Order: sequence, then structure tokens, then C-alpha cells
Amino acid sequence: MALQDLRPMMERCSSCSGCKFIPFEKIQSVRFAENCPSIGYYNFHTYAARGRFQLSQSVLDGRTELTETVTEAIHSCTSCGLCDVTCKITRYNLEPLAHNLEQKAYAVEKGAVLPAQKTIMETLAKENSMIPGTKKKNRTDWAKDLNLKDLFKEKGEIAFFAGCKYSYDEKLQKTAQDAVRILQHAGVDLGYLGAADNCCTGRAKQMGYFKEFDKGANTNIKAFEKAGVKTIVTPCSDCYNSFKRQYAELGMEVEVLHVVEYIERLILEGKIKFSKSVPMTVTYHDPCHLGRQGEKFEAWEGIDKKIFNQIHIYEPRKPRYNGIDGVYDAPRNILKAIPGVNLVEMERIREYSWCCGAGGGCSQTLPEYSAWTAGERIAEANSTGADALVTACPWCKDNFTDAEDEDGNKMEVLDIIDLVHKAI
Amino acid sequence: MESLKKKLVGIVGARNVIDNRDVLDSYSKDESFATPMKPWFVVKPENAAQVKELVKSARETETPLVPVSSGAPHFKGDTVPSVPQSVIVDLSGMNKIISVNRQQRMAVIEPGVTYDQLQEALAKEGMTLAVSLRPRANKSVLTSVLEMEPRLNCIHQFNYTEPLRCSEVTFGDGNQIYTGEAGNGPKDLQTQWDLGKWQVMSNGPNMMDFLRMVMQAQGSMGIVTWVSLKCELLPSIHKMYLVPAKKSVDLEDFLYKVVRVRFSDKQFIMNKACLASLLADSKEDIAKLKSELPAWVSAVGISGDILLPEMKVSAQEQDIADFAQDCGLQFLSSLPGATGEEVLARSIGTCEGKHWKQTAKGAFQDIFFITTLDKTSVFINAMYELAIEAGYPTEDLGVYIQPQHMGTSVHLEFSLPYDPENTKEAKMVKALYTVASEKMSSLGGYYARPYDIWANIQLKKDAQSYKVLQDLKGIFDPSNIMNTGKLTLK
Amino acid sequence: MALAREVYQAFEDIVGNRNISEDIGVCETYRSIPSQTSAHYGPSKEWTPLPQAVILPGSTEEVQNIVKICNKYGIEFKAGSTFWATMAYIGGDNAVQLDMRRMKSIEIDAKNMAAVVEPFAIAGTIQAEAMKVGLNVQIPGVGCSSSTLASSSGWAGFGPASIFMGANPENLLGAEWVLPNGEILRTGSLGSGDGWFCGEGPGPSTRGILRGIFGPAGSMGVCTKIATRLHPWPGPKQFRTYGKAPAYKADFGDNFKCYTLCYPDWESWARSVQYFHESDVLYIGHRQFNMFGRNLKAFMLNIITDPEKQLSDLPELLKDPEIQKHNDNMKHDYQVVIAGMTKRDMEYKEKAIDYILEQTGGWKHEMMLEKEKHDYALAYMTRLGHKNLNYVMCGAYEGTFGLSGNVWKTIQVVEEASAQKRKWETEHTCIAATGGDSAMGGVSSLGGGGATGWEFFTNFDSYELESVQGTSDMVDENQAFHNKYAFGPDFCRWNSDVRHVNGYSYTQEEHDEMFAKAPQPWIYAYQYKIREAVNPNHLCGSYLRTLSPGKLEGK
Repeated sequence: MALQDLRPMMERCSSCSGCKFIPFEKIQSVRFAENCPSIGYYNFHTYAARGRFQLSQSVLDGRTELTETVTEAIHSCTSCGLCDVTCKITRYNLEPLAHNLEQKAYAVEKGAVLPAQKTIMETLAKENSMIPGTKKKNRTDWAKDLNLKDLFKEKGEIAFFAGCKYSYDEKLQKTAQDAVRILQHAGVDLGYLGAADNCCTGRAKQMGYFKEFDKGANTNIKAFEKAGVKTIVTPCSDCYNSFKRQYAELGMEVEVLHVVEYIERLILEGKIKFSKSVPMTVTYHDPCHLGRQGEKFEAWEGIDKKIFNQIHIYEPRKPRYNGIDGVYDAPRNILKAIPGVNLVEMERIREYSWCCGAGGGCSQTLPEYSAWTAGERIAEANSTGADALVTACPWCKDNFTDAEDEDGNKMEVLDIIDLVHKAI
Repeated sequence: MESLKKKLVGIVGARNVIDNRDVLDSYSKDESFATPMKPWFVVKPENAAQVKELVKSARETETPLVPVSSGAPHFKGDTVPSVPQSVIVDLSGMNKIISVNRQQRMAVIEPGVTYDQLQEALAKEGMTLAVSLRPRANKSVLTSVLEMEPRLNCIHQFNYTEPLRCSEVTFGDGNQIYTGEAGNGPKDLQTQWDLGKWQVMSNGPNMMDFLRMVMQAQGSMGIVTWVSLKCELLPSIHKMYLVPAKKSVDLEDFLYKVVRVRFSDKQFIMNKACLASLLADSKEDIAKLKSELPAWVSAVGISGDILLPEMKVSAQEQDIADFAQDCGLQFLSSLPGATGEEVLARSIGTCEGKHWKQTAKGAFQDIFFITTLDKTSVFINAMYELAIEAGYPTEDLGVYIQPQHMGTSVHLEFSLPYDPENTKEAKMVKALYTVASEKMSSLGGYYARPYDIWANIQLKKDAQSYKVLQDLKGIFDPSNIMNTGKLTLK
Repeated sequence: MALAREVYQAFEDIVGNRNISEDIGVCETYRSIPSQTSAHYGPSKEWTPLPQAVILPGSTEEVQNIVKICNKYGIEFKAGSTFWATMAYIGGDNAVQLDMRRMKSIEIDAKNMAAVVEPFAIAGTIQAEAMKVGLNVQIPGVGCSSSTLASSSGWAGFGPASIFMGANPENLLGAEWVLPNGEILRTGSLGSGDGWFCGEGPGPSTRGILRGIFGPAGSMGVCTKIATRLHPWPGPKQFRTYGKAPAYKADFGDNFKCYTLCYPDWESWARSVQYFHESDVLYIGHRQFNMFGRNLKAFMLNIITDPEKQLSDLPELLKDPEIQKHNDNMKHDYQVVIAGMTKRDMEYKEKAIDYILEQTGGWKHEMMLEKEKHDYALAYMTRLGHKNLNYVMCGAYEGTFGLSGNVWKTIQVVEEASAQKRKWETEHTCIAATGGDSAMGGVSSLGGGGATGWEFFTNFDSYELESVQGTSDMVDENQAFHNKYAFGPDFCRWNSDVRHVNGYSYTQEEHDEMFAKAPQPWIYAYQYKIREAVNPNHLCGSYLRTLSPGKLEGK
């Protein structure tokens, strides 16, 4: 697939503004009606999916060069995929997310990248991490006291995959450690890849570095295979999406679970029981890559054709990712199961949840914009009256932690694992 | 003067050019405080072609024209010439009902058609026209709608201009066009009807709306020679209920509730002085009624026509009664001194001869403007205070609140009856009228129909609108011949 | 041709450097491609001109200052809000594009049933805010992603709910308007600071030059704020839905019903419409789902109401005799919503519908009574959030014919129009073959009834040049039909006299040539004179139809 291949899609977009708002039926207020952080922050039409389609046409036709502004516009897509959901509400055959990623890949191919992306990708190449300044040799330090099996050395089927953020970010490591302890406490025989634990490279793909993603993904797939992994458990939503969707597309057949899915399962099986009350009102943020992009991959091979002269169909019918089968209920069921926790919902939830701003590498490449995006969510969370904002992704949590809304208000931010740990 | 007469005679014929002193005198003044000014001639055109010629000719001779359609008496000063050497264009003779179409619920009428004349013709087809409060029998329907006299039913006032739709207008530059939908077709009604076009849509005809150039204009932009009107079905059941209250403010929530859900077919609030005047035929009766009636009454009409009328009326009766109860009010078919039936009949019927507001004391001065219902008590309180200060008997002060445009605003009307023979009282009322008009404006009262001194008050508050209005006047009446002197700052 | 530096700087000084761009990539995304939207001058793949800069004003004052700079330097400008319709885009080379996106506030006066809104307040957000206080806003047929300010002040503005809520020109109260000469005009009661409640007067209404049957489509300055009348909403404070995307369904309570009413023939169809025009029964009335065509609508309804289905399921569904029966039963149809303000009111409205059906021989469509389909249709009709299904089949649609006005006239010609479209479906491949009749539109385009606003949805592929060109050719042929029955320009050509197909404005000479032939040409001459008064430098393109008065005065 190349950007040019998406030309029909670009030219079948009808400029309807569906890519600028949450599904219209879900709008509850003017304050929280919009869906796209990129146009929300930059404001120019260019930054919404419609503008991006049009930008691609112009670039491909040679009218637009990849200027600094264009480069920033292209890479400011957090690849959250909400425009993809909202577009498909009425445009079943358009895929803005696929386009936006291809657009980024095109820019990367042409060398139109953001300065911070270069540093990140150098770190990936050298240290197999998405976080500049980190070293491969320290990657598994977070797990050293956890009794995790090295699956290359000991037999085991379930691999815990912390991901770069949990592995290296000292503020977050405890959450990953608690996740492991919770699962272990419930009797899960948990291992990890030890020295073969590397970046999932999903975030590289989100930034348009497709080749680097492919390389990393294929290496990891082989590693999982070699280690005999049957199930991957990850507390990171980006990693979850990589394994569940992207790796599956590359042929990986391993079961992929986010920690919340596993914890929910263990609660239902009676293996996790809550003994402490956590009296607080919380609201839950659906991470993009766990929610709408957490749908499983379905292979399709076929053709698109026209019937009745001009009606486009796929033969055979093509799987449609419209975000509805992501992981939404598991985290909510966990929260509801914790004694004392009162869950209140924000206006933008589930398949139309607002992005935290970290996606697409933006928390690292365009920090001011990313912080604004997070601040918007803090405002929304605060509007519910909740005491804390709970999420299930280290990138989201980190981005929310220091974020402020337009009035300078912050909010306590928790990973759902933190709450589970408190309650056990 | 003679050459002008000759020209006028050439256009409308000798019998339609009047320079009889008494006639000219009668057109030189009205019942308001407007300064009298005698016109040179009164002309009575018989058709739109003559009107067009009159305007063209007046442009050439720079003769001011004052269009008049209703019969006397007049009350707002708009038909009194503001400048010398004016010619009154009396359109009352053009009184044809050009068409009535039941299928489209449309009627097309000339300026001289009166309410009774039109209602009779419409009733034959099972229709009626939404009316303003108890119009005079010789009131021109065209003038009434063109000057946006508020209708008793705001619920069907989808457009501010309802029930007015299209028109034929000769602007002051001598050009004649159709406005609204009619302006898009051939300039001939019969041809338009043959094409299935019934002058239904008021906006336009194109990217501007020329009806709005002549509405509320007091004839200062052009002369309208027909209008099309959206009609209603004639009710088969028609009732009116009365909701009494001690203060007007007590009725606000009730009226908001009724209007919001679009129940009722008429809805207004009056104080007892106004209601007594509406109902009574003599001073004595008015006085008697004032002693019997509650201080304030909200009148609510309910009707049904062809679609399950009994069920509709019954449902609304019960629901509106519930609303009243929710507001701690009574929903009654009669009050001491008045039945709903009487109020309804008086409201929608016409009054012969004098205006019903003249009954109390022989003359009256109105102050009316637009505001919102929730602000009316501020104006009412201020008006009572001013009346007391001026020594005006507050028990005579009439108040009428008419929701309009589906309830987004109200027409608030104060009436100050006075004895025209009592110079002192007349002077006091004139002074009160002046002071109160200023005061109402300063409180946010909006003179959308800026008659007489209100033009000055209103336009001074809005320099940009005035500037644009002057630009428009320059376009549509470049020689400033149309009711010259009206709607200008002094 | 870039803007002179001092001009760019002047603009930047007004809005700040974050809110202006002359980057080629940004400017390129402010061009419209008529085949990809509703241009109303026919589908074409030509792009509108490239703006010299894009400016994002944040207030009326900023707009005014921008317009003053434009006047000073003779730069054309045009404001757009959602950038959906082609009319929002500039029509010349020496022009800047104003994007009103930063101005989206909504203030509601619940008591007096009005909302004061800025340009980028879309109907969907206004409705959401209004519902919190038991009110609703009229959403034009184009859908809830449209700017209410634009539909009120700049274009047509009628929709499915117009029968109950009026069209947006009817709902327009006060307006704040930056004239093309840079002055600010506030219409009606707003001008004197008395409030937004009345948009008319004082005396003759300057609102009359703000808009007519259509608005000037951005050719007369920039409306920065308007008040629009709101309407009762007897439903929940939130637009409550259930079900999975994309088939969200309404959960409003028992006082809402959505029916597809069907009739044996057009005559009974029209009689029923007349009943509704003459009563206060309907909350919403629209021939909606016929947009998928007479042959496909029931099948498409089975797709769009089911989150699991997609267009690829259409061939299989077409084999289902049950659905075919349903399709046959909805030939002469329209959708209605009734809303009970009270329990008694609901009972009356239900009975009234039964009575009308009895009188006209009509019926409620059975399939559309199924709970999920009913609830879907109710959500669809109420928010019009799914209106972009217009485009789902092929990527593009245009409305053609446009049998607006007298319903009794419309029904006499609808079958002939259908046959003409069907001919193009069978003899050509440019448009989707959906069954000829794809006429859709409001039961009334006016408050309280009186006129329909119909168009035939014509689906084509905006990617394929042959499909685009073929559709355009079909519309040309349809114009002859329009001429024959005096319907004026085809719906698809409403704007063909205000912008060239290549996206550029017409010259005055070209307009003179066109409008001198109008049946009442003075209308265009007055529009010329008014433009001269407030837009002496002709800075907003040629959407305003004007005729040099000299052409009529023999000069």
C-alpha cells in the first residue's frame, strides 16, 4: 500500500465534517463535541482528516511541497483513530486512519520528519526503545525482583510484556510491578522475554516508520514463537494494539490480552478478590489503542467492485473496523467490582473517546500540543465531578499526570492497576 | 399646483383627484399628537398601473406621496404628511380580493380590503385570517399586516412577517416588482397561477428580501398594491379561557408554558382597564367592568378545525388547565364581568366606527414596543410610576401583552385614554407619552415599528442601522418622495 | 502571487501568528472540489482558486479589522465555517480565506427560546445544548454538521423539522454582521442594544438585505453571530441512544414515535401532506430514505440499521422476498416524527395520524415499526447525524430536479422525472441505478406547511471522471424538464449563475448578460445597488446575483 493507492478514498471524501466531531448522535455539549486533537489545537482545516485527504492529493499532484508546516501537520495526527470511527458512521468505505498513517509514511520516506522523531528512531535502532536516553541493558531492570520467568530459559506460556514506557519510566514502573504481582497472586504463571524483550515498535508505525515497525515486529514475532509464548499480557495499550492488530496482520497467532482483560477474567473466576474499599469517584479514560483500535485483526483478501453501475462493494465482504468491539467493558467491570469505587462517565467514551495526546509519538515530538490535548481531557474529567481519572495505558497516564485544563486545574490520575492493587 | 393636478388627473382621472378643502383637512391630521399638515391633493388610484404612474410622475415633480389604505380615524401619525405639498395616495378604493385558494390556503388582496370583507370571503372556503386585536371595520388588512400589527396567535407565526407572504410593490424610484416567491416568476399573477405558483413563500425573491424594505416602513419606501396572505382553517370549535391574576408577573410562567408547547390558538395578557375597554360599549360599562374584573387576565383561545377537533380541544383544555394549576392559577371559562366567549368574540371581531379604545374617554395614546415576556413587569412598573408622577389615573392605563413570533418576544402595549376636549388632560397625556416613550426605550423597549417620536428615539440608539436604512432609502426612494419625513432623525 | 509582506503582517497583527497561514499545504486544503461536495453548480473535478492566506479570526472585532485591511488593499475575502459547501470558498486569485472555526460559542435563553450562536456552532452542538433546557433547533436537511449561522444567514436553511420549527430564515432573530465595507450592522433589537429577541426593523428591516430565499453565501461580508429561535423538545435532556456504531438508536421515551407513512398513489400522498400542512401534528416530516432510491430503500434500511451489515451485503439482501415486499410497500412514502408535549397531546397526535391514514388510504410501514428500525429512524430524523449516508453508496451525490414548492404540482411530475432519471440509470453507467425515483425532501420547507423542498438524490463516483461528467450531462438534460414545468434551475444548478465551473467568480458583464433576461430584472438591479452601498470594492466574489441598473435604464 502506498499513499497513491488511497487516491480513490481521498477523492470520495465529501467534506462533511464527520471527521471533526464525535459521532453526532453522541454529542452532549458544545464543549466536548469535537473529536480530533490535531484540528482542535491547530485549528486549520488542514489538520482534520478531510484536510489531510486534500493535502495528500495536493502533495501527490505536486502542488504542495513538504514544508515545515506541512510536515508538522502530517505528524500531528495522534493516530488515535477517532476520525476513522466517526467517518465510518456514514462512510462505510473510507479509512482516514489508514490514510493518515500512509501520509506519515510518505513523509518519512521523503525525509519530512520532526526533529524529535529522528532522535526517537535513533534510540529505537540503537537501544530498541522508543524513549531517548534509555539503554537496552536497563530494559528489564524494573522486573528484577518479580520472579518473572525468562521464557527463553524456563518453560511457560504466558508472557508479560511491559513495553518501553513501563520498562523505563521510573514513575510508572511500580504500576507494571503491581500488575505482575496481582497476576502472580492470582496464580498466573507469568514469564517474560528477558533479553529478547524489545520495543513492540507500534509507536514507530504510528509515526509513519513502517519499515522499522516491520523489522521490529517480525523480530518480536519470532521471539514469541521461539519462547513458546501462547499468551501475551500487556499493561500498555500501544503494545496491545501492536500485538493484537498489527502483529496479527503479519501472521502472529498468539493470544493477546491487556492486563484489564486478564484481571477481569480472574475476577470472574474468583481468583482475584477485593478485600479493601477504595472510596472514591473515578472516571475512566479509554485509551485509543485499547478501545477503538483494540479490535482484533481479521484477515481479508478480495476485490472492490461496483454494482448497480456505481455502488462500491467488497467481494467478499470486508471486515470493517468501526471501533465498537474494542476493550471497553473489562476496565469498567473491574472498576465496578472494586468496593467503594463509583464510576462516572465522561461525555466522550468508548469508541468516541478523546485521545490523551500521546499517540502518534506526539507526546515526545510535539509536547506542547500533546499537553493541550491532555488538558482537554482533564477538563472533561473534571466536569464529571470525579476525584480521579483512571486509565489503562502508561502513555495516557504519563500525559495526563502533569496536564492542566484551560483554567490550570489538574487531576489525580491513576492506572487501573493502581486501583486494583489498592483494593486487594 | 395646477400642473400637478393636471398630471394627476391624467393618471387617475378627474374623479379620483380630490382637492376639496374638507377632504384635505380630514387627511391633514389624525387622532395622535402628530403635527397636522394639509396635503395638496388626495388621489385615489384604481389599479397598480396607476400607482406606478403616480410614483413615476411624483418623482419627476418631486412631489411627496403619502399612501393611505385604511379608512379614518388613524392613530399613529403615519398617514399625516410630514412635509408640505404632499399628495395623499388613498388606496382604499382598490379593494378587490384577487384570489382565494383553499388548497394552498392563500389569499391575494388589494390594499382597500377590510377584515370583515376578507373574513367573509375566506369563511365561504372554510378559512380565516389570523387577526390583530379587534381591528377597526375599515382597517386595511394589507396595512395591518404590512405594518406588522401583532396577531393574536403567536403559535403559527413561524415567520416574523406572518401571515404576510408576497407582495406587489412600486418603490419610490418608480419600479414595480413582486416580492417573495412571486418575484421569481413572470410578473403576472394569472400566469403564475397557471404554473401552479400561489405566492406562498415570503422570502426573496432572490438573495435579498424586498418585502422587508416595505414592511414597517409607513409607506416610506414604496406603495404595495397587493399582498398574498397565508390563511388558517376556520375553527369548527373555538373557545377562550381566562386566567386571572393579581399581578402580570404571576401570569408569565403560565404563558411561557402554554406558548412553549404550542398549545392554544390565541394567547395574550391584559390588565382590567384594557380588557374592560375591549368588552364594553360605553364609558359606564367600562367603569363597571373595571370594578368587577380581576387586575390581570391571561386569555387563552383553543380551537379545533377539521382534524379530530373535539379530541384536540379537549386535550388542550385539560393540559392548559394543568399548567394553570401548576402555576397556582385558575383556568376559567368566565370571570365576574366577562366570559371567555365574549372576550374571544371581541378580540377577533372588528369594531365599527371609532376605535374601541376611544370608548373610555374619547381619545387615547398608545405606547408599544417589543421586549421579552420576562421583562414586561419592569416596563409595567415603570409605566405605572410615570403615570403616577404625571398625575395620570393609573386605573385608566391599559396594558396589553401579546406574545409574537412563537413566543420569542412580546408586543407590549400601553394605552392612555384621555378626554380630547380636556386640554389639560390632553397636554398631560402628551407629556406622559413623550416621557414614557423615552423611558421605555432606555429600559430596553424596542420600537420595531417606530411611529411618530419613536423613530427619533429608536434610530438615535442605532447609528449603523440608521445609516444603512438611509442608504436603502436612497436606493428605493432616491428622490425622497415616499412619505417624506417619516423614519428620519430630527 | 503571495500577499505583500505588509498586508500579511497586518493580518497577523490582528489574529496572531498561530491563526494565519500562507503555507502552500494549508492553503491547498482550503480549495473545494465540486464533485466532492454539494456545490450546486454541478459536479466537476476542478478546484476552486488557491487562497493567498487562511485567517482564523476569534472575534467580531478581529473580523472587522480583517475586512478593513481587505478594503484598504483591495483583497477579496470569504468566510467559511464547516467548509463543506463550495460556496464557502473564495472565487478569485487575490483573495484570503477566513475560517470561522474559532468562533463557536452558544448561549441559550431558555425562557425566550433562543440561542445566540457563532459561525462554527454546528446544529448538532446547538441541539445538544438546547436539549438540556427542553428545547430543540431546526436542523437543515444537509445535516447536523452544518453551521446554523450559515444556514440562517447564508443559504437556504430548511429541513425535515421545518414543518414544526420553520426554516432557518424564519427562525432568524438578531444578527451581528460585519458588512463588506468593514462596518458592523446589528439587525433588529440588537442594533440598539435591546437584546437579540427581534431581528426586524426598526422600520424596514435591514435583515432584508442580509438574506432572501437564499442567503448571499458569503458574498456580503461576514455574519459573526446570530440568534436563532428554538423549539420545544419534550424528550430527555440528553440525546439518549443505544446500540452499536454506526447504527445508533434513539431512546427518547414513549412520547416520540417515528413512522414511515405510505400511500397507494401520489394523489393520496399529497392529500395526506395537505392534512399535515393544515394541522400541528408533526414534529418532523421528511421523505428521507427514498434517497437510496425506489428500488433499494428497504434493502438499504436493512443495512444501515444493523451495525454488522455493510454495502457488500446488498446483493444477498436483494434476494430476500420479504424485504422486496417491504420495498414495494413503501413506494409513495415519507417519514414522520410525532412528539407528545403531554400524554394527551401524544394520544391526540397518534389518533390524528390514524385518521389521516384512514382518510387517504395510507398505512404505517410495517418493517419500520420494528423496534430497532423505528428507534434508528427516530434518532436519524431527530439529530440528522447520519445525513452523510447520502454519500455512502458511491462517494458522492448531487441533488437533481428540485421539485420544490406546491406539493400538488410536484406530484403531477414526479413520475416523469423519475422516468427520466431511470433512463440515465439504464442507458448509462455514470450514476447508481437505484430505481429512478430517489426524490427526497421535506414534507414542508416552510413553517406550518405550504411548500415542499425536494431533490432527487443522484449517486455517482467522484473519483471517476466519466461518472462525474456523465452526472453533469444528466443534469443538463434535466434542466429541459425544469424549464418545461417552470421549476427554475435544476437543484444541482442553483449556483451555476454565481460561480464558473472552474471555481472562479463571474464578471459583472457576465452577470449582466444573465440577469437582464430575468422575468423581473429589477430584483437583480436592486441587489446591485445594495452591494454598491455596502461592498463598494466588490470583495466577496460573485455569489450575489447583480445586474448593472444601467442595463435597465438604457444607459
